[in-house]
Amino acid sequence: MAALRSAGGAGLGFRRELIPALKAGVPSAVSFFELAPENWAGIGGRWGKDLRYFSERHRFVCHGLSLSLGGLAPLDTALLRRIRSFMAEHGITLYTEHLSWCSDDSHLYDLLPIPMTADAVRWTADRIRQAQDILDMRIGIENPSYYVSPPGAELTESEFITAIATEADCLLHLDVNNVYVNSRNFSFDPLAFIDALPLERTAYVHVAGHYVEPDGLIVDTHGADVIDPVWGLLAAAYERIGGEVPTCLERDFNFPDLGCLAVEVETIARLQAAAPVITRRAA
Amino acid sequence: MTNDYQEFQRHFGRYLRDPRRCQRPPGIPARAAAVYSELLFNNVCGFLDACFPVCRELLGESRWRRLNRSFYRDWPLHTPWFREIPREFARYLAGAGIKPPLPAWLAELAHYEWVELAVEAMDAPIPDHDPEGNLLQKPVVVNPACRVLTYAWPVHRIGVVYRPRKPLLTYLAVHRAADDTVRFSELNAVTARLLALLSAAPITGLAALQQIADELEHPSPHQLIAFGSELLLQLRRQGILLGSQLTACPIGITDSSG
Repeated sequence: MAALRSAGGAGLGFRRELIPALKAGVPSAVSFFELAPENWAGIGGRWGKDLRYFSERHRFVCHGLSLSLGGLAPLDTALLRRIRSFMAEHGITLYTEHLSWCSDDSHLYDLLPIPMTADAVRWTADRIRQAQDILDMRIGIENPSYYVSPPGAELTESEFITAIATEADCLLHLDVNNVYVNSRNFSFDPLAFIDALPLERTAYVHVAGHYVEPDGLIVDTHGADVIDPVWGLLAAAYERIGGEVPTCLERDFNFPDLGCLAVEVETIARLQAAAPVITRRAA
Repeated sequence: MTNDYQEFQRHFGRYLRDPRRCQRPPGIPARAAAVYSELLFNNVCGFLDACFPVCRELLGESRWRRLNRSFYRDWPLHTPWFREIPREFARYLAGAGIKPPLPAWLAELAHYEWVELAVEAMDAPIPDHDPEGNLLQKPVVVNPACRVLTYAWPVHRIGVVYRPRKPLLTYLAVHRAADDTVRFSELNAVTARLLALLSAAPITGLAALQQIADELEHPSPHQLIAFGSELLLQLRRQGILLGSQLTACPIGITDSSG
């Protein structure tokens, strides 16, 4: 088992499509992998063997997709227990989920924005606390991308995230690409937004590429290279939180050569190294 | 306690499952609603397309997509595991009493296509066994990554050039071999029954074959057993059987003289 397991460094999303290239050699800039437990827990056969091979040699982070923190049905405690045992099997110590919902009474299998009301703060924070109790650790919540601002909002997004993180006493997973996508689609200042987040709680960072529709709408696809303004936001985030926070490059389809992804992971590492040392008070 | 914001979520969920017939919730612009309904449906279709290439090809694109849509709209999806979406689709075809006329064999074909995915990824560690053990005299160990299937239709032969009109009772084994590839075998009724008996409880090959001879009221059980012993060896060569259970060493009889 890889040495446990100081955080930090630059990581890459662990995808089946990348495994053959990774078997030939993991790029040196990659200091950890991220996976979705919903895609990997309980998998046997060759995929299970592949995961075991890499988790014995590399650090992994869990980034969930199906927990539906803002969902309507009771929190899926069976899923959480399975994630807990999966994390133990592979020595994984960080789990993050999206601050979104993906199910009402039944699953929709994609991430939707939670209406930003005081009731939703209480509801969602309560579910995060339940999740933290079952996993016996604090979890990170990711600021999501969205294409609609649900009606009836009583708080701004940064207020909503801050209120939930405070009430649940959880960690922040900062996705700078999502900040960028939303800032373009909804015309706000991404840096001012980042400054209004509870950055002292940041435990994990995402960076990714996206797609611009012909009418200018930006869709958070994770299927393209990271663009310069997003790198700029990552650098700006590091100026505020320091470069110690583990940061993952998300790439979910339209895969280039592993070498191209390695260059992007190296960019993360370079920006981390260039960041000032920030002494963060414990969240 | 009723929460207005949750009423929005319910309404949006209904809309996303059925955007053609359901009004979008107030305050949701058409463009954003279209982005979401497309993203979500394409996501689910991606899982279905990957698992069911034969069903898709035989139905044709528009019928296939209509069926994907009615599945997403009508079938309650409670699994958080993406790999179980195709399982749910196969259950939907088998159990939902779907209105538009579909080929009679479609539900079974979908099940067969799903089994390949399921066997490839199932978490079924290989139990201890003696690969050289006597399969007639010792309890037999069946490959746990194996499904023995009975279909009313010859699903393994269905394709663009063969769409059966009449049912044909069909027995198939789908198993994961030692190299982790998925293999398909057509079985006869006796072999399927033998595998069912061996999978149900740890029994010797001989006991299973004797039971089959009884069930068939076979005129000469010895013939069946002779045939069956060859069959057991063949199933082991294929990797459907792994071998025999290891004989536990009785306490006190182990040789410890060094």
